[in-house]
Amino acid sequence: MEFEPKIVSFLCNWCSYTGADLAGTSRMKYASNIRVIRVMCSGRVDPTFVLKSFREGADGVLICGCHPGDCHYHEGNYKCLRRYHFLKKYIVQMGINPDRLKLAWISASEGREFAKLADEMAETVRNLGPCNVKDEMEIFD
Amino acid sequence: MEEKRIGVYVCWCGTNIAKMVDVEAVAAKIAKLPNVVIAKDYKYMCSDPGQEMIVKDIKEHKLNRVVVSACSPRIHELTFRKALENAGLNQYMFEMANIREQVSWVHDNREEATAKALDLIKGAVNRVNFHEALDKRSVDINPATLVMGGGVTGLSAALELADAGNKVYLVEKAEKLGGHVANIDLTFPLLNSAAEVLDPLIYKVNNHPEVEVFLNTTIDEVFGYIGNFESKIKSGDKEYELKFGNVIVATGLTPFDPGKISSYNYEKLPDVITSLELEKMLKEGNVVKKDGTEPKKVAIIHCVGSRNADYHEYCSRVCCLSALKFSNQLRSALPEANLFQIYADMRAFGKGCEEFYASTSKKDVMFLMYDQQGDLPKINKAENGAGYEMGIEFYEKLSGEDIIVPADMVVLMVAMEAHEDAKEVAHAVGISLCGNEFYIERHPKLDPVATTTDGVYIAGTCQGPKDIPDSVSQAKAAAARILASIARGTVEVEVTTAVVNEDVCCGCQTCIKVCPYTAISFDEEKNVSVVNEILCKGCGTCGSACPTGAIRARHFTDEQILSQIEGLFSKEMQEV
Repeated sequence: MEFEPKIVSFLCNWCSYTGADLAGTSRMKYASNIRVIRVMCSGRVDPTFVLKSFREGADGVLICGCHPGDCHYHEGNYKCLRRYHFLKKYIVQMGINPDRLKLAWISASEGREFAKLADEMAETVRNLGPCNVKDEMEIFD
Repeated sequence: MEEKRIGVYVCWCGTNIAKMVDVEAVAAKIAKLPNVVIAKDYKYMCSDPGQEMIVKDIKEHKLNRVVVSACSPRIHELTFRKALENAGLNQYMFEMANIREQVSWVHDNREEATAKALDLIKGAVNRVNFHEALDKRSVDINPATLVMGGGVTGLSAALELADAGNKVYLVEKAEKLGGHVANIDLTFPLLNSAAEVLDPLIYKVNNHPEVEVFLNTTIDEVFGYIGNFESKIKSGDKEYELKFGNVIVATGLTPFDPGKISSYNYEKLPDVITSLELEKMLKEGNVVKKDGTEPKKVAIIHCVGSRNADYHEYCSRVCCLSALKFSNQLRSALPEANLFQIYADMRAFGKGCEEFYASTSKKDVMFLMYDQQGDLPKINKAENGAGYEMGIEFYEKLSGEDIIVPADMVVLMVAMEAHEDAKEVAHAVGISLCGNEFYIERHPKLDPVATTTDGVYIAGTCQGPKDIPDSVSQAKAAAARILASIARGTVEVEVTTAVVNEDVCCGCQTCIKVCPYTAISFDEEKNVSVVNEILCKGCGTCGSACPTGAIRARHFTDEQILSQIEGLFSKEMQEV
């Protein structure tokens, strides 16, 4: 059977989650690999959440927030961006390919863009194959 | 510690979910998860019987946590929270899994969709284990309202509120009230004067003791939350500090610039004019060409910038009827002229409008149809001595022929666009735009004038193209919503604010640096951070910055989200 990755996606409530809902109300089809977790703001995405996702078996993590300047909480998405750059470097040290983590801006009106992003992310991670962090960590359990 | 007893409800949403997700199998599997006492599937969870089922089960099975797996929480989270309250359970002991907008409507493989739905519900069940009861917080409603925009919508809303005895601050960017309707001569379909509609509104607003009008004024930023907003405005040389409990955004539209469509030669040929320019001529009672003479042939082109993927896909809703209205007015003003309607589709919906179309078609007006999928009509200057100024070249769909329509004046029925300031206004009041830059309503059918920001309402053409009756209806609907909140006097607000565990706080003040609302201060004596719950909006950014885990974003705590992640991947029930 072809490998189908599981991707955890953190979406901010105001822009990205609404955008993902819009993809639904517009009946746009996309790959089913995404598992969404709603947070109020992308600024709430603690680096721990990302690491925990990989630890639990995620093959990819997709974080979406409001476009720069559009954050419902003014600047939470910038905080998220900083942590993202840090995480990108950090996960490499953990042996995780940095392409498994992606941050993108999705507004409430960008249902189409969200659907496209979900497909692209699924394709990227599918090509990377399974992430083995979980299995490797079992040694320490 | 109290035993956790979770009830899980999987909604079919008719066939919306059930068609793509095996809801019965999902419910059966979920029933085997730890702490799940009961798991059911049902046709419509949001219906009265659906909610009653939850209430009954909570009482009968002593449930203390509930998961509903159905549509988006943005649609029915509050509905179900209320059901919990009705059963005597704290409303926050609830979690929703979105298996409609984010599963059944976006996937077409039933097996994959079912697997995904199962994962999401597992996540929700795991999360709800860690939910905690939160107290309600209610705030007083300041009965004053800020109305942004002094067009027919803003004026109607302002009067509705002020007539009930409430203070209204009406802020208008232009130097006078009236908006676009002030530039209109007659209204369709009854051909009443627009001034008859508008002038009494302006008079009443200007003389109303409860309405304070600020002209030449814009709002840069609105602070606060429902019931307690404030804004500093500059009007003339004076600065004002306004305090208000609710906001109505009625900032209207911007007309489409037909210069964007090169084949119409707008501003290149002197007598190609917009519908707004014709309104002005009709209002002044002087329909003449640029050279001062009367046109003998007038053509009206429809859908200029509307219903065309290159410009705007949407229909602007008023242009067809306005064009018919023009034909009636031109027939009176220029009894001998040849009148042409060059349309793409005639959309005469609304009360009395189809009848108006029928009566206009008997007034010696030639109706010609162009193909919007093909090339748009082309307006060329006619050759000298042709006997007319311009030729409009297009494929006439009904006859199937390429024709040239002669014209001395061409009127372009320009589309309604979102207001050019729509983005700035959205930022100022914290609401969202849809793809066309009109404002997004909270729910297109069930809550069409509210926004996702409590206390901020939208009305009129800032929400989407519409005519005067629809705009006024929305204005009054928004006013009614606000009057209801004023009558209650208080409103319950989210209590999902941050909270500091003083025993764990190390006093590093990182949270203070990241808070966008300066809602966190430092207690020097105790050496800990303190959250001001009125200012905190619950974004949770502090929670992800705190190095010790002392500050928690209520209802989005670390353990709640981490357990949700675990749930997504848990294999627990397969082992059962």
